[in-house]
Amino acid sequence: MTTQDIPRNPGRVAARLPVAISLCLLAACASVPAPSAQMAVAEAAVQRASTSSTSENASSELQIATSKLDKARLALAAKDFERAGQLAEQAELDAQVAELHAQSARSRKAAQESKDAASALREEINRKTLH
Amino acid sequence: MKIRYLCLASLSAALVACNTMPAGNSALDAASEHFRSAQLDSQVTTWAPDELKRAGDSLHLAERAWEQGERAEKIDHLSYMAEQRVVIARETASSKAAQAVTAGAAAARDKMRLDLRTAEADTAQQQLAVAQQSNLQKTAERDRAMSDAEQDRQALALRSSEFEAAQWQLAQAQQDDASKGLALERSAARLNDLESQLSALNARQTPRGMVVTLGDVLFDTGQSSMLAGGDHNLAKLAEFFTRNPLRRAMIEGYTDNVGTTASNYELADRRANTVMVTLVRMGVPSDRLQTHAYGEESPVANNDTAAGRQMNRRVEIVFAQLSDEVTVK
Repeated sequence: MTTQDIPRNPGRVAARLPVAISLCLLAACASVPAPSAQMAVAEAAVQRASTSSTSENASSELQIATSKLDKARLALAAKDFERAGQLAEQAELDAQVAELHAQSARSRKAAQESKDAASALREEINRKTLH
Repeated sequence: MKIRYLCLASLSAALVACNTMPAGNSALDAASEHFRSAQLDSQVTTWAPDELKRAGDSLHLAERAWEQGERAEKIDHLSYMAEQRVVIARETASSKAAQAVTAGAAAARDKMRLDLRTAEADTAQQQLAVAQQSNLQKTAERDRAMSDAEQDRQALALRSSEFEAAQWQLAQAQQDDASKGLALERSAARLNDLESQLSALNARQTPRGMVVTLGDVLFDTGQSSMLAGGDHNLAKLAEFFTRNPLRRAMIEGYTDNVGTTASNYELADRRANTVMVTLVRMGVPSDRLQTHAYGEESPVANNDTAAGRQMNRRVEIVFAQLSDEVTVK
């Protein structure tokens, strides 16, 4: 709709009035602004978590985060800003969970290797002192 | 009218009841249950107290939303957020606890290695003490051997006088037997020959017998292979052995005191062996040669100076004393 339409065809304006009103109502309902900042944060978090180590040690957690971000994008495209914001918040935490899960798996593995090395050294020392 | 108001009132009361007790807060229940169990987990409270507090704050938001009758969708969302914050606290705690284990194990390994080194050093010191003890014993043995040699020398002196007596008898018999005189001449010639051969090799008479010293210049520092010039001296020695088929010798390796006692023994042994092998290659029967490594024992000069150390790096060839050498045909 442009300003040029109004003088030429006033009848069409009247016909579109209910549409305009309902759009206004919808806009009022969606009083939540577009969650662009939260979307950017979620995108960055998922991006950061998408490493080879995370996909190796926490593949299902990373999968959850990326699909949540996809849903947030869909909700944003459908102008469901509140849902988009919530999904983006969840995607951000899901990405953190994936990262931390991979990190704790690595730490536990390193701890086990460290303990194994210490006990191997202890055995070697015992053998040496016996001989 | 009154009935209509009543109807409205009861309807709104029902709505309020529905609002204050909404169905589908199971997500919130699960989240608070998980938060409580994390609160009781000492690993989480020790290693991730901040993360646990954030999970508590998040759960509080969800509970507030539920109390204020917010929509189920929002309560679900906030409960999910609280739930994930509990997971974050648990993963963080697990990571940090494992890292502490790694650090502890590394420290334990370092301590074990240190203990091992200390034990090794102790053992080395004990071995050194034992080696010093055995050195003392060897010195005592050598002193004994030297006094034995002194006795041998006296015995030899006795035999020499006997020999002189025999010589005198021979001189007496000379006029009677011309062939006997000829034999004596040959013996004397042999004796002179032997002396001149050994003197060419700078041999010297010691209580232990005739000793020929091959100096350090025969060898490169720390090496047991012979330098080119050494062959000449050894060729003279080999010739001496050939001319005197009953002579036996002990080849003795000595070093200075640079380096460890053990490595000096080894070097001395290898050098003595090199000399023996060279002599054998030059035709000396191996059963007439023996080697012995003395290492840094029995220095002939002061080890504090370079010249002294060079004199101490040597191979000595000691000829066994044969009482019957002059009577050999």
